[in-house]
Amino acid sequence: MNLSKEKVNGILVVTIEEKEANLSKSDRFKELIVEEINVGERKIIVSFKNVEYLDSSFLGALVGVLKILLPLNGKLVITELNADIENLFELTRLNKIFVIKNDLQTAMLDF
Amino acid sequence: MEEPAININLKIPKDADGILNYIHQVVSALQERIALDEAIVRNVKLILVELVTNSIKHSNDDNALIELSVAHPTLTIQKVDKGLQIEFAEDSHKIPFVDVNKTVMVSFSETKKHHIKILDKYQFKFLDAYKEGITIDYMPEHFGLYIITLASDSFVYQHDPKLQENRFIVNLKLRD
Repeated sequence: MNLSKEKVNGILVVTIEEKEANLSKSDRFKELIVEEINVGERKIIVSFKNVEYLDSSFLGALVGVLKILLPLNGKLVITELNADIENLFELTRLNKIFVIKNDLQTAMLDF
Repeated sequence: MEEPAININLKIPKDADGILNYIHQVVSALQERIALDEAIVRNVKLILVELVTNSIKHSNDDNALIELSVAHPTLTIQKVDKGLQIEFAEDSHKIPFVDVNKTVMVSFSETKKHHIKILDKYQFKFLDAYKEGITIDYMPEHFGLYIITLASDSFVYQHDPKLQENRFIVNLKLRD
């Protein structure tokens, strides 16, 4: 699972450096983000700018992260989704649960 | 004039790294034969990803395949594999069903619950995935079958006990 991480103005920006966000990567993704939460990160942006598709396992990992972060008064914003991934969030109505922003700049302003 | 039926059969990859190429291959094969609008293509991709993922996770059949057929106005996508019937959690209904035509809740595991309509002893249809509404507490972390249900017009599971064959049959209505 290739991720790049950057701390900007107190916000952890995680970029998924993979084309496929799928079942072979979902567990590791969740582990890596939970590690960040465990060391105190509460403001997290996940960018999907390199991701071509996202499957149900990865979606489940995102839900898992959100379930951990919300009770800690944390915030997760996801951004830079392509049209296929946007469709997935709309169809599953998870666009009502997750904060989704078009670009990184707008995502940063949400904190 | 009615267009001829289109059939495409493609063997499913055995690991997750093959999914992206497989989806491109299937969608290209489909688009070579029929014009599809973008919204349908997006849902076809979601359905294919989840059917292939389901196969990689749960099937031991090396010859599992996806069959696509178009008979206007319906596109049918089927995942076909050999093996035992789908299993529910212990407290759920069992195949062969007895309560034909009834709508029941089944559990695939603690976090995967679905409303289904029993069509016959060996066949059921997945129903509205969000009958209870959506909240972060209720939300499962396994969405595969939900996604297929939501992205299609009908989603039916069928088991053939003689052939030991499972079919996930997904229908989408094509727009004019």
